[in-house]
Amino acid sequence: MNRASKWRSILSNRFVVVPGVIAVVVLVWNIYVATHNHGVVIGRVVDVNGNPVADATVALWIFNFTTYEEREHVTTDARGDFRFSNNPSYKLQISAEKPGVGRSDRIPVFLYFRSQDIDLSSPLRLGRN
Amino acid sequence: MGRYPRWPIHFALIGAGIVMLVPFYWVLKTSVSGENIYAYPPSIVPRHIHPFFYIDVWYSIPFARYFLNSVAVSMIAVVCNVAFNALAGYALTHGFRGKNAVMLLFLSCMMVPFQATIIPAYLITGKLGLLDSWLGLALPQCSTIICIFVFKSSFDAVPRSLIDAARIDGLPEWRIIWHIMLPLSRSAIATNVILAFIWSWNNFLWPLIMTRSADMQTLPLGLARFLSYQEDTTGALYAFCIMVLAPGLVLFLMAQREFIQGLTSGATKG
Repeated sequence: MNRASKWRSILSNRFVVVPGVIAVVVLVWNIYVATHNHGVVIGRVVDVNGNPVADATVALWIFNFTTYEEREHVTTDARGDFRFSNNPSYKLQISAEKPGVGRSDRIPVFLYFRSQDIDLSSPLRLGRN
Repeated sequence: MGRYPRWPIHFALIGAGIVMLVPFYWVLKTSVSGENIYAYPPSIVPRHIHPFFYIDVWYSIPFARYFLNSVAVSMIAVVCNVAFNALAGYALTHGFRGKNAVMLLFLSCMMVPFQATIIPAYLITGKLGLLDSWLGLALPQCSTIICIFVFKSSFDAVPRSLIDAARIDGLPEWRIIWHIMLPLSRSAIATNVILAFIWSWNNFLWPLIMTRSADMQTLPLGLARFLSYQEDTTGALYAFCIMVLAPGLVLFLMAQREFIQGLTSGATKG
């Protein structure tokens, strides 16, 4: 058996291939995490008719061992958009309210890793409570 | 043999296989759905599949640290098992004075449960200064009598003339083991690796007794700690079980052919 075929048989061995594939998946996942963990949470607040709500107060609640505690709050801009820029958690809740318009449900958000950047797919809807 | 249809045997084996796999499936299903095991009517197919219970486990306890501890301790146990058991198994293939007494001692020691010897084991580990260390965690499992006999039965199957030829060529004993016996005993090595890994991986009592710092705990201890933290544990607990089981399952699936050969080689040798 020459040197090349010996190396080929070693590298194609399942005891090398399976751990190698697992190592590559872990590496790729960690690279993805490292490039997407800035803690940015973006979303929008709308009223019952779906119109954007400016100057609504949006609160970020993060999971603290057994309960959720409020970490910070921001205000929506003229288009109803809001942005948190340093969420440290993987398990959070977001709520919004504006006097005279109403308040939203507290929406649970589960992330795949801590501080994952996320753009919420559905807006927070005021006026239900 | 050819006169009898094989399908009844296959049918029965498939049925038995399904029965054995149902608990594993149930754990997997609950870990990705969180559906309560007592729900009625029970659902076979999980609804609302998501990985968040796994993420909960990963962040609720220092899972990566426990995993590293378990991997390090298991690796030490596996390497020591293969090395020491091969040496002991090779010695037992030779005739020497008191061999029967040694065999009898080994067999009788198998009947003594580890719980009965755990205090001396703790004291010896303490005297060696290995408490709260990876080596100390692996120490009682660095050699197991069952695995010595697995090597012995495998080495017994190697033709005597091969060993004699190696001796005539001037090979020392350790090179006979390394270059002749071990390459011919791959199934015994695989059996040693799997058994040592699984026993070490699942060990609970010894790490519980000898670890002092939280950083040195292994996964089974982490599971107990996790249970004390969480109130609503259904999904997360099952996810934890899958995360603890997965490495052992992967190892077994990779080496199952050699593992089965290793366990049956003593039985089929003529």
